[in-house]
Amino acid sequence: MAKKDVTKPVSLDPRGGRPREKCVTHIEGIDRILNGGVPVGNIVLLAGTVGSGKTTLAMEFLINGAKNGETCCYISVTEPSSKMLSNLQTYGFFDDSLVKEGKLNIFDLTVINDRLGVERLDGTYTAKDMEALLGAFEDIVDELGVTRLVVDSITAVCYQLPDRGSIRNFIFRLSQFLSTFGCTTMLISETVVDSNVQTYSIFGVEEAVADGVVLMGNIVRQGDLLRSLQVVKMRGAKHSRARHLIELTPVGLAVVPLLKWGQDGGQAFT
Amino acid sequence: MSVADVAKSVIKSINNGDTLATIGLPATGFRDGTVQLATVLLGKKLGGIYITTSRPSSHITAELEEAKADLSDLYFVDLVSMTVGGSTDDARTLFIESPTMLESILLNISLLERRLKSKRRFVMFDSINGLSIYSEPKVLKEFINVLGNSMRIKSIYTMMMTVEEQTDGDLAAALELLSDTMIGI
Repeated sequence: MAKKDVTKPVSLDPRGGRPREKCVTHIEGIDRILNGGVPVGNIVLLAGTVGSGKTTLAMEFLINGAKNGETCCYISVTEPSSKMLSNLQTYGFFDDSLVKEGKLNIFDLTVINDRLGVERLDGTYTAKDMEALLGAFEDIVDELGVTRLVVDSITAVCYQLPDRGSIRNFIFRLSQFLSTFGCTTMLISETVVDSNVQTYSIFGVEEAVADGVVLMGNIVRQGDLLRSLQVVKMRGAKHSRARHLIELTPVGLAVVPLLKWGQDGGQAFT
Repeated sequence: MSVADVAKSVIKSINNGDTLATIGLPATGFRDGTVQLATVLLGKKLGGIYITTSRPSSHITAELEEAKADLSDLYFVDLVSMTVGGSTDDARTLFIESPTMLESILLNISLLERRLKSKRRFVMFDSINGLSIYSEPKVLKEFINVLGNSMRIKSIYTMMMTVEEQTDGDLAAALELLSDTMIGI
């Protein structure tokens, strides 16, 4: 009798292993780039220059989650929540009822600070303030059962921390409890371009602690500005590292591969 | 080759299961030719997306209406109107801000594709030469390659319209490499 062939087929997946559970963004093209979505519980740094679409992407991430029954939360650091809400009305994919039903929650950091009594005249948090703020974030996520969180922007929070060590500590502890709660988070990082090089953050610390880094920017093509997106790292996911074009369409953001020759002078991020 | 003959070749190509054709028409009669060709395909109950890089979609719509074409399942991607400050208020058209935004064409085709009702669908790209005004040859060739293969994956019959007199050997070779069939060239 012939011996039964028990040779396992060779996997073509260079990484192998079992995939992690994914938080599906439902943003056209993003889930394909991320091979199914952001691993649940990851903290992702959404880094980009002005006008690159960071807030829109983060908002659509939350809105799509809320539409699927998740509880989502947006913490506004740089503008009042009322202004954010009125801006949201201009998006075709936004639905008022998500806010009314408590699926999409929008908080002002200034209001949180006031309630905690941590607003300082010199704008710098003490170690005690930092603890109080982390505790407040934890309470919001725990009590509301938040599964998707956006902090817009982490850069503005970091400006209030006294040094790089505190920034590292703050983000590390934030990521620890968010991961425990299975809350997938986007921290928005405002970046600048210096000599055609775009950094991931102002302080150079956030990207090391975050589980993922998504870089957004503007590419100049014959004088026109094109929005671009590139996933630099995403722990727990096999992902594309190619640069993509991102555009706001009537059905939300959509992503397509960027033409390789379509950039003036190579690395032209602005 | 007359427009009637081109139309026959296109129908034959569709029936043969092709997905990508490069169609060359002379500059004289190019406009009439593209409108006639679209009218024939719409008459055969195909739904389509008309990408215009050479004149505003409102003009093409008017010409198609005059030719009594069935426009119920035809949509436009217009790279002209916004650039020249024309009307951008039409429910069947998606307007692109600048002809340099080539990736937007792919994106808008994807959006319009969902609205097509017909099972048999076509994309008419009018014209490859119109894009060459704004894009360098290497960018244009890359775009043609991406567009062609995207449409092939979607199984949408795609016609790359070219003006015979404006299509040099290099561009023609790139199109030939990609296309299932060359008609009128």
